[in-house]
Amino acid sequence: MNLTSCPYEKELRELMARGQWPDACPPELRAHVSGCRSCGDLVLISEAFQHARVESLAAARPVAPAVLLWRAQLRRRNAAVERIGRPLLGAQIFACAVALFAAAGFAGFEARSGVAWLTWSYWHDWLVQLPQAAAAQWTTVSAGSQTGSAWNWLVLLPALATLLLLGGVAVYVATDKP
Amino acid sequence: MSWEFTLPDALLHTSPGGALDAAAGACDPAMENEAFAAFYSRSSRPLWAYLARSSSDPALADDLMQESYVRFLCAAGAPALATDGEAAARLYLFRIATNLLRDHWRRPRAASIEEIPEEFFAARGDTAQTESQLLLEPAMRQMKPRERQMLWLAHAEGYSHREIAQVMGLNAASVRLLLFRARRKIAALLRARAADADGRKS
Repeated sequence: MNLTSCPYEKELRELMARGQWPDACPPELRAHVSGCRSCGDLVLISEAFQHARVESLAAARPVAPAVLLWRAQLRRRNAAVERIGRPLLGAQIFACAVALFAAAGFAGFEARSGVAWLTWSYWHDWLVQLPQAAAAQWTTVSAGSQTGSAWNWLVLLPALATLLLLGGVAVYVATDKP
Repeated sequence: MSWEFTLPDALLHTSPGGALDAAAGACDPAMENEAFAAFYSRSSRPLWAYLARSSSDPALADDLMQESYVRFLCAAGAPALATDGEAAARLYLFRIATNLLRDHWRRPRAASIEEIPEEFFAARGDTAQTESQLLLEPAMRQMKPRERQMLWLAHAEGYSHREIAQVMGLNAASVRLLLFRARRKIAALLRARAADADGRKS
């Protein structure tokens, strides 16, 4: 396919851009355009598109720029909220993972002392004995004596809660971008 | 009326939510004032015309034009009016619009009759059609979407091959070839339409 354009095309294009076609252009050029297919196409298409452009510009009903500014601002805020929420979600997932890991570890530790703790009656007894055991703990702790199963729970639960809290905060701080 | 007064307090930069503003502050605040309004007033109609003529759907052009400006305002890499100039900003805007049109055409979509606006039918029932509706529009409908976009940018907006390449994400040599073909095709269609119209008159 021959892509070489007519040497008059540039001049013609400039005349059309300045609005000098066809009235203010040399008669030779007009004569050339009537015989040249490439220039004829250019004139035909450019005139059609320029007419269409004028009509379309008049038909356009743009909204107020304030609406677009508002929408853009809203979108940026939503994106920012999402960015801020991402590390929080990560922290929550991390905290859940730590909790599950700790629970599994504790279950494993308890399992060593037998499988009785898996039965309902074990927990029922444990709950019944817990108030007395808790009251007795202070004397036990102060006396430095051996720790029992209830004591394990009383120490482990706050420790676990602290660990979860600190873990979540650590992940949040690590993943938060300035 | 200044646009700031139309916004809820919680959405303003001066609101107590400073952390949010800092996180959201990818946009040049200077852009969000008279400079943008002036740029918008000069570029919105040509952009709408480009979208409407490329898609042959004025309602879609309304939507895509708004979306183009919103994306332009939110884009971190958008050219700044003060430093890069309006021509660069306009090219960037047209590029966003071109991508949105491409996405729209790629998306399979089924519209029910209720979703089509009344104006769509009213416009087609109107007997007083303009010259471009009679000649250019049927010819444009027979062109491929990319050809329509290219022809509009070249002959209505007066963009060079390099600028069209920038807007459409192609290289300038490809644009030259594609535009050459598209020009031949639409010229033949326009001549055929004109001959038809002359035949009907006589």
